[in-house]
Amino acid sequence: MKYARIVLMCLFVGITYTTSADGLIPADLQNYIAYGAIVTMLLLIVVAMLVLLKAFNVITMVTLRSQGYTAAQIQAEMHPPKKIKKPKGEVWNKLLSLRPMAEEKELLIEHDYDGIQELDNPIPGWFMYLFYATIIFAVGYLLNYHVFHTGQLQYEEYKTEMAQADIAKKLYLSKAANQVDENTVKLVNDPTVIAAGQAIFMQNCKPCHGEHAEGNVGPNLTDDFWLHGGKINDLFKTIKYGVLAKGMPTWEKQLSPKQIADVANYVKSLHGTHPAGAKEPQGTKETVADEKLASTK
Amino acid sequence: MQPEKFYYDNKIVRNFGIATVIWGIIGMTVGLIIAIQLYAPGMNMNNQYTTYGRIRPLHTNAVIFAFVGNAIFMGVYYSLQRLLKARMYSDWLSKIHFWGWQLIIVSAVITLPLGFTTSHEYAELEWPIDIAITLIWVVFGVNMFGTILKRRERHLYVAIWFYIATFVTIAVLHIVNSMELPISAWKSYYIYAGVQDALVQWWYGHNAVAFFLTTPYLGMMYYFLPKMANRPIYSYKLSILHFWALIFIYIWAGPHHLLYTTLPGWAQSLGIAFSIMLIAPSWGGMINGLLTLRGAWDKVRDDVVLKFMVVGLTAYGMATFEGPMLSLKQVNGFAHFSDWIIAHVHVGALGWNGFLTFAILYWVIPRIYKTELFSKKLSAFHFWIGTLGILFYAIPMYWAGFTQSLMLKEFTAEGMLKYPNFLETTLQILPMHMMRSAGGAMYLLGVIVMAYNLARTMMQGSLVANEAAQAMPLAPANTVVKENSWHRTLERKPIQMMIAALLVILVGTFVELMPTLTIKSNIPTIASVKPYTPLELQGRDLYIREGCSNCHSQTVRPFRSETERYGEYSKAGEFVYDHPFLWGSKRTGPDLAREGQKYGNAWHYNHLMDPRLMSPGSIMPNYDWLISQTLDTTTTRSKINAMRTLGVPYALGYEDKANRDLDDQAKGIADNLAKDHIKVKPSKEIIAIIAYLQRLGTDIKANKTNNK
Repeated sequence: MKYARIVLMCLFVGITYTTSADGLIPADLQNYIAYGAIVTMLLLIVVAMLVLLKAFNVITMVTLRSQGYTAAQIQAEMHPPKKIKKPKGEVWNKLLSLRPMAEEKELLIEHDYDGIQELDNPIPGWFMYLFYATIIFAVGYLLNYHVFHTGQLQYEEYKTEMAQADIAKKLYLSKAANQVDENTVKLVNDPTVIAAGQAIFMQNCKPCHGEHAEGNVGPNLTDDFWLHGGKINDLFKTIKYGVLAKGMPTWEKQLSPKQIADVANYVKSLHGTHPAGAKEPQGTKETVADEKLASTK
Repeated sequence: MQPEKFYYDNKIVRNFGIATVIWGIIGMTVGLIIAIQLYAPGMNMNNQYTTYGRIRPLHTNAVIFAFVGNAIFMGVYYSLQRLLKARMYSDWLSKIHFWGWQLIIVSAVITLPLGFTTSHEYAELEWPIDIAITLIWVVFGVNMFGTILKRRERHLYVAIWFYIATFVTIAVLHIVNSMELPISAWKSYYIYAGVQDALVQWWYGHNAVAFFLTTPYLGMMYYFLPKMANRPIYSYKLSILHFWALIFIYIWAGPHHLLYTTLPGWAQSLGIAFSIMLIAPSWGGMINGLLTLRGAWDKVRDDVVLKFMVVGLTAYGMATFEGPMLSLKQVNGFAHFSDWIIAHVHVGALGWNGFLTFAILYWVIPRIYKTELFSKKLSAFHFWIGTLGILFYAIPMYWAGFTQSLMLKEFTAEGMLKYPNFLETTLQILPMHMMRSAGGAMYLLGVIVMAYNLARTMMQGSLVANEAAQAMPLAPANTVVKENSWHRTLERKPIQMMIAALLVILVGTFVELMPTLTIKSNIPTIASVKPYTPLELQGRDLYIREGCSNCHSQTVRPFRSETERYGEYSKAGEFVYDHPFLWGSKRTGPDLAREGQKYGNAWHYNHLMDPRLMSPGSIMPNYDWLISQTLDTTTTRSKINAMRTLGVPYALGYEDKANRDLDDQAKGIADNLAKDHIKVKPSKEIIAIIAYLQRLGTDIKANKTNNK
């Protein structure tokens, strides 16, 4: 059996080694093969043990018979009566270091209060260990943060968190293509962009600018009049940084550059729709003729 | 020596028992109403007096001080007399105590919906009621110590140690946390501001849980459990250790309510360290209780009273393990401000306080009425519906807490918040809030069934108002007795024991409060932070009146997920003029510490009138009465004067000019609103609250990098 296992082991190691060297089998699959091999091995061991047990039983029976035992005697030898079970709860008592109930009388304190008596049981050892452990933890905690300064307190923690986020963000943005800003944003009429922009508008802009951008608390966005410029770059800028004095919030933290571009394009697409209940014009009139559509990709 | 004959006063026990049940039903009903308001804001019936911010404090005060409070007095008055073999010291004091306490509760029921509140959680009642509470508490103390002094039992049993600790500590907590400067009959300002006020409040808030919801109940457990199970207390030694350890350590743990705030780091760490050390002393009570049931577990199967006790003790064990875990800052950063905390406190309140109270009621009422319980079936029904109610309450709340916190902390790969709109996370957990109210309703149903059951029990029996008893008189106190331990000696001396308990709780109090209250460098000041203008100050008081801080925090923690969402994290120096602090403890809505200038005045106007106009789906109630009500500016003068007394640098004589400034600023806002076609008089309350909201967190926006 031992030899069989060694041989099997060598075989698996050999297979995985050769395959990984060739790179024919992907890493995932290799893992599955290895898991399969381990499980198979464990099953084999279980089977082997069952076989051995059966074999021992048979051998015992054969030897007993050869010594002249009758079938009944053999049965008795093979299945001795089970030991008497320990009284229930003893393990439990040991575990909790409790004295057995039978000894309780010795522990009773003479005094009673309105019939209530008390036992003179010691404090369970495990309780004290728990208490000591928490005290050690507490001391260690204070040492960690305030004496050795090995742990970070909240403001250092914050710096670390922000630094890590910054690295991750830069890494992502260097790969991603959506690095748009107010200088590079392009006017497009790609329906997917407009649809994405509409979804964002409905979720974030509708309360102040109205469902059809007719204006409510915020100005009408469908007419020719603009408070902060009507070019796509101006819109992007207004959405991104907001105009706090006029009540337009900053969206930089809530919308990604791509999303801001989408919603700016959606707003541009609404120009001249003349929705019902439009708010009166605000700002200066701008013609949009000079603005060209960027070629849709 | 002849045994002396005397009578126990059962009537006072009965009275406190009835009050417990009635206030319990009222307090829980209010709880159910506000739970429903959290998904159906219209449940406030469009009425300012029944709106969440005002009646959430009513719920907490009613269940803590009315339900649990009366239950404590019921349990103490029953057990104290029997443990001391003496009638209460004075029937008159008992009566004053009972009626005084009920009057205090009634005054809370009236003043809180009216918006008279100090805003300190679990200490919302205004200064006249604070004084009344102090007086009644002294009455209780005199009555208790009077009884102790004329006792016929030399040694004090462990239950009484807990009662004594409760009495002295609550007295200290209440007095220190009620340091207010009154400006009128129903308005006062806390003398502490900002961080210091927060520290005092949570030292109080945490220890109100410890010494109002825990120690008196442990005391009652030590009397009633061995009586109910007819078993001796498991370990006298454990009683001693866990009593002293518990009261010593508990008092230190308050700062764990203020982790990641501007509280000095050392104070936060002390709070965490002591919270962890609290596990074993807290569990000591549970272990001693559960092991007392050794050999009586067969009784638990049949006896509903013991069932209540076992579930109660288990809930206590769970809550006191969860508490220290929640105070670990890594867990706290996630769990604080979320529904997880609501689940945690209700496991304690419904399981431990509620179930112990029910067990005691079911046990005491038939005894003092010399009869059997009217219906065992109904009490069994109460047990099961109550247990189910707790599960239906707690599990959805844990779920909601995890869900919302995970959502609020989630970032996209682009480094943006995945859910920048707070409301999205709120809408996500509404189904859980609905389930929670179903759980609460089940629990309340159980209590109503209990009330019926107990009423029928009382009707079929008759009250033994004065129960005869006899006991040997005490040998003179100066008789020399050799005690076999120092603690046995201390148990003979109630006054010394009270002083010892007082000293033990004062250690942690001083170490934590004193440096922050007295050493200036713990609160770095910021030059650009200026006092509120008179209009903002008035607006701030409206914010307090409406209980906004019940749902909105005002402290941005130094986490990326919070600085991205709300803006620069809060600085201690920003709060130096905040009497009281308004950091809040729960974010049902978003944080408002940096709300100022984020939106326009018109946005705020519309949002306060009907939040759903600006934030579709919002669960915030309408505050339209702010538009119709006129701001009371006659108080401006006294408010400015009071603030100056408390150290806010308003120039001398400014109180004379304050209202002129107030009018100017109000007119500016009204004019600005008029531009957006909103016509509102500058004298309306909404103008003041907009002024305050627009100021929030703006003082340091300009120089945000200069400060730590």
